[in-house]
Amino acid sequence: MAGATRTRLVREDTSGADAVAALAVGVASVLFGLGLAAMFEVVGLTGTLAGVPTLPLLGGLLLVQGVAVVVFGVGSRFGAVETNPRPDAGIVAAVAFTLIWLVVGGLVASQVLGLGLAGWLLGAILTGAAGFAATVLPREDVGSTLPAGVVTALVGLVFLSGYIAPTSVWDLGWEQKASLTAEFMVPVVTVFCALLTGWAAAKAYGGFGARGRRVGAYLLVYLNAAAIVGVLFALVAFTVFKGVPGLFRGLTFGPGVGPESTVALFGASVTFSWPVYLPFAMNGVGLLNDLNGVLPAIVGTFWLVVGAVLFAVPLGVGAAIFLTEYAERGRFTQVVEVATNGLWSTPSIVFGLFGFAFLIPRFGNGKSLLAGMLTLGFMLLPLVVITSREAMLSVPDEYRDASAALGVTKWQTIRSVVLPAALPGVVTGTILGVGRIAGETAPILLTMAGGVFVPGSQTADVIGGFQFTAAPPFVSNPELLQATSALPYQLYALITAGVGASGNVGNPDQFRWATALILLLVVLSFYAVGIVTRYYFRRKLDYE
Amino acid sequence: MAQATSEDTDAEALGHLVRRFRNFVDETDREALAVVGVMTAALLTAFVGFLAVSSYTIVPFAVFLVTASYGWLRHQGLTARLLTLTMTVSTILILILITAFIFVEAVPVVFYESATVFGIEIPGLRMFIQPEWDAVSSPIRYSMVPMIHGTVMVTLVATAVAAPLGVAAALFLSEIAPRTVRELVKPGVEILAGIPSIVYGFIGFTVLSPWASDQFNILGQGTYLFVGVVVGLMALPTVVSVAEDALNSVPESMKSGSLAVGTTDWQTMTSITLPAAFSGVSAAVLLGVGRAIGETMAATVMLRGVPKLTDPLYNVFYGQETLTSLIARNYGEADGLQMDALFVAGVILFVTVLVISVGSQYVEWRMRKKFGGDV
Amino acid sequence: MSETKQNPRKDTTQPLQTTSGESEEKLRSEWTEYEFDGRTKLAVEDLDVYYGDDHALKSVSMDIPEQSVTALIGPSGCGKSTFLRCLNRMNDRINSARVDGSVAFDGKEIYQDGVDLVELRKRVGMVFQSPNPFPKSIRANISYGPRKHGDIDTSLLAKVFGRSDEDAEERLVERSLRQAALWEEVSDRLDDNALGLSGGQQQRLCIARALATDPEVLLMDEPASALDPIATAKIEELIHDLAEDYTVVIVTHNMQQAARISDQTAVFLTGGELAEYGDTDQVFEDPQSQRVDDYISGKFG
Repeated sequence: MAGATRTRLVREDTSGADAVAALAVGVASVLFGLGLAAMFEVVGLTGTLAGVPTLPLLGGLLLVQGVAVVVFGVGSRFGAVETNPRPDAGIVAAVAFTLIWLVVGGLVASQVLGLGLAGWLLGAILTGAAGFAATVLPREDVGSTLPAGVVTALVGLVFLSGYIAPTSVWDLGWEQKASLTAEFMVPVVTVFCALLTGWAAAKAYGGFGARGRRVGAYLLVYLNAAAIVGVLFALVAFTVFKGVPGLFRGLTFGPGVGPESTVALFGASVTFSWPVYLPFAMNGVGLLNDLNGVLPAIVGTFWLVVGAVLFAVPLGVGAAIFLTEYAERGRFTQVVEVATNGLWSTPSIVFGLFGFAFLIPRFGNGKSLLAGMLTLGFMLLPLVVITSREAMLSVPDEYRDASAALGVTKWQTIRSVVLPAALPGVVTGTILGVGRIAGETAPILLTMAGGVFVPGSQTADVIGGFQFTAAPPFVSNPELLQATSALPYQLYALITAGVGASGNVGNPDQFRWATALILLLVVLSFYAVGIVTRYYFRRKLDYE
Repeated sequence: MAQATSEDTDAEALGHLVRRFRNFVDETDREALAVVGVMTAALLTAFVGFLAVSSYTIVPFAVFLVTASYGWLRHQGLTARLLTLTMTVSTILILILITAFIFVEAVPVVFYESATVFGIEIPGLRMFIQPEWDAVSSPIRYSMVPMIHGTVMVTLVATAVAAPLGVAAALFLSEIAPRTVRELVKPGVEILAGIPSIVYGFIGFTVLSPWASDQFNILGQGTYLFVGVVVGLMALPTVVSVAEDALNSVPESMKSGSLAVGTTDWQTMTSITLPAAFSGVSAAVLLGVGRAIGETMAATVMLRGVPKLTDPLYNVFYGQETLTSLIARNYGEADGLQMDALFVAGVILFVTVLVISVGSQYVEWRMRKKFGGDV
Repeated sequence: MSETKQNPRKDTTQPLQTTSGESEEKLRSEWTEYEFDGRTKLAVEDLDVYYGDDHALKSVSMDIPEQSVTALIGPSGCGKSTFLRCLNRMNDRINSARVDGSVAFDGKEIYQDGVDLVELRKRVGMVFQSPNPFPKSIRANISYGPRKHGDIDTSLLAKVFGRSDEDAEERLVERSLRQAALWEEVSDRLDDNALGLSGGQQQRLCIARALATDPEVLLMDEPASALDPIATAKIEELIHDLAEDYTVVIVTHNMQQAARISDQTAVFLTGGELAEYGDTDQVFEDPQSQRVDDYISGKFG
């Protein structure tokens, strides 16, 4: 074989060419930022930036950027810049550029030249083929810069020429009215071109070839990761920002400012007042309240979670014990495994339908707390089975053998060896599952529901509700058999009720955001606790 | 031939079971046997009573509790074994009950919506061949076509958002990110997987929908495009987290082997790590797709709630109704056939997601078999 | 364990562990100094490696001659694998590892800014302790490196435009497999998955994979530790042949193996220091350090 290619082992200091490529990456990031700012209307397209009207400014930058990228690629081809390109830009780039040029050609042919279907199809195919050829026929340095740079420069020219005004609108002509506006398209196209040329420039900076592809790909991967973290963080931050005023309205500290609570144990009862008064979490909605809150929903969510856990955890852990310790590994356990995994991914609304059809007729034909608890318990059950089984399977067989060798019965082995070892896994799995069901709306929508604005008097008092009766079923608890509210349902009810149904709540918008925030806090704290314990136990196991 | 052998083994297994049961009866003392018998009988009675909506259900259940606690004190090992078996059976029963109930409830409307093809009457066919949903005026028609269309649109958009971005982010977390970044971001992403869907829906409803209407000059609010984006964002943390686990489980020796022949880490990722973790990564994507299909609240809150097709079909700027939002929106006023139609929607969702789940488990099983359990 | 034992042949009255004393340092530098004819391929100077707080390799200096087999021996945990992984900077993969000192490859420092790791690893190939073939076909395993370097292009586009290097690939696969003495066994099933090969075949495949990128140095980390005697014998023979064209550095804890295949031997002792380095015959027959003598005669380690 011809000897393998050799390049320098040590790269010398950054050359002038590297600086040019880095500058192009920089311009691309400026364009990217401007595009995003314009999309979210931080920068108006009609206004000016640094004394220049925004649209021509964007156009100029795009033109410069496109030309720079093309010049770099061509310069590399003719040896002005030392790079390390492959014979072609690769199939991925070829497909991407073909698609881009198809769209460009189709748009120009149909919108600018006004050709009919056959005409713009032909135009699209022709330009697409040209884009493909430009990518794969020349060497990689030209193939990955020329198609990107020319598109960007063309877009820049269009923006500069004034062909598009900041107020342009293209009606899509669909029956249900919808249009593309310059207001939206200009930022989107700018961001897209910035990504395209940014990638090409990053590739050039890496000198094309394997290293260039790595730099180009890393640029996009880093950007993607930053965007995801940014967006998700922004979602939480936004909810906190909007929810905090409503949540903490009327917060006071001091002895005896809070509502009175009575704790009754074995006949003796103690009444005390809370030293904190947080109206939103401690009040219901009432005419006489100074500030209204969502106490019934918080208590409802609490009881829902308690009920679901009491139902699902013993059942799930028991089933997991039988499946891992007693049942022979074979077709039976395999089927159960597949079934529990399937059940875990079943949409929550299907659980709601099941609760509606199965539980409601059995609990007095009305929506009730008990039905909600059991429905959520059904949802939680497969997760408990899956995580408990995983935890038990990860207990090494040597432990069981060692215990059995001491003449200990199987159940004693399970109780004193397997269960303690599997406990961390079971606990964390349950906490994460609880986080998920605490935030579920769909199942309780069909089985429990409740009102939009719930008076404080409707706060469920499950413990105090038990009564013995003479008629079957001998024990009853009206609190369990009537509907109450829960946080996610409350938020849904507030959204669908709309702004008109303000009820007694002074500021419905604030009330809604505060509800969303308190729901988020409840659910995310479950998740945070679950994940932290999982990491804690994992680390502990790792170092042992 | 294969059929015969599998039947043989079935018969053998059954014989084995019978033998074991006989041994069990012979070996256990009479009192323990009586406890076990009473427990089983009581529980069975309670279950039948519950199914029959009897208010006396509580009596056998109480008997079961009393015998179980007696057995726990006297014969703990045996009782524990029986109780765990009971729990397993209950878990399986719940699964069977879910399947049975949503299917049974769906039956009447399926027969109502029969259509005749080539002289053969096929129940339920009309729900899928004509696109009219009209629950009020005659002829009353319950078509699933508009909702299936809506679910497909939302799922396509959501997958287009969640799959590539999620896999790229998982690559970043598992292979590229510095250790400190990974240790901060990974738990963060896992926590974000817990944001309740109604909160996403609320933000979508109050912020994104008005913005979209303004940007695209849409009449009213609610687009498949932005519901899909919101649902995709919702599924994103799940996809990232599961795919990251899969990428992490590719043995380090394989990655080192690739780097040691002088490839860049990007080449190692695309040529070795991603293909080796293919099953896990595709399972992550399928999990995300399953989430998107079953997502209810964001769709209910953000869509318009008109069960009809958009025009043209690819008009993503209008959002009418999905299978999930149909159920959530209509269960309140629905009764009779319309309620049953909601159950048909439930059946479609249930079966689709189950097929996806079983499919992804199968892919994973095949890959595990192929690579000898390593990957 | 028996460091008190005196060997009349040696003037090593001071054990190496003593922390002070010029003479000990001097002795050690004498024992590790190795004069050889021919060119130096790798020059290591004052190499220290830390894993977190753990000082894994202590101030190691040695020159490795071109086109020969250098064996690194020593008890487990003595840092010989760490040393090997420093030579192609695979230690960069370990987050907690920190490397001080200098390694020069053909006179070029590899621990400095701007070193192209890809190029370095192309020239300094590596074979790992346990076989790690990729879950691809045998052919794809061999041509993986050259394909990724762009030396062989069999992509779809290359095929479409008629510049596919399939012939070159065929030749390369055959040459590498022959070099690794695997050709006869697998020539009829090049498209089978490499994971279906036996352990010894997998390891020779990994050697062939490393040779396919045409390296100048081949690092081997106990390549025969997981193999049966027959496969081991094949690999030893192979290493011997490779030394004609390549510089081979091999880690082993099997002293007989080191004695059989190497031209020079470096002995690392617990604590991560290089105790002795010299001609294999001399090190095994007449070690200068007392501790090395104890180690080689099987008294500890």
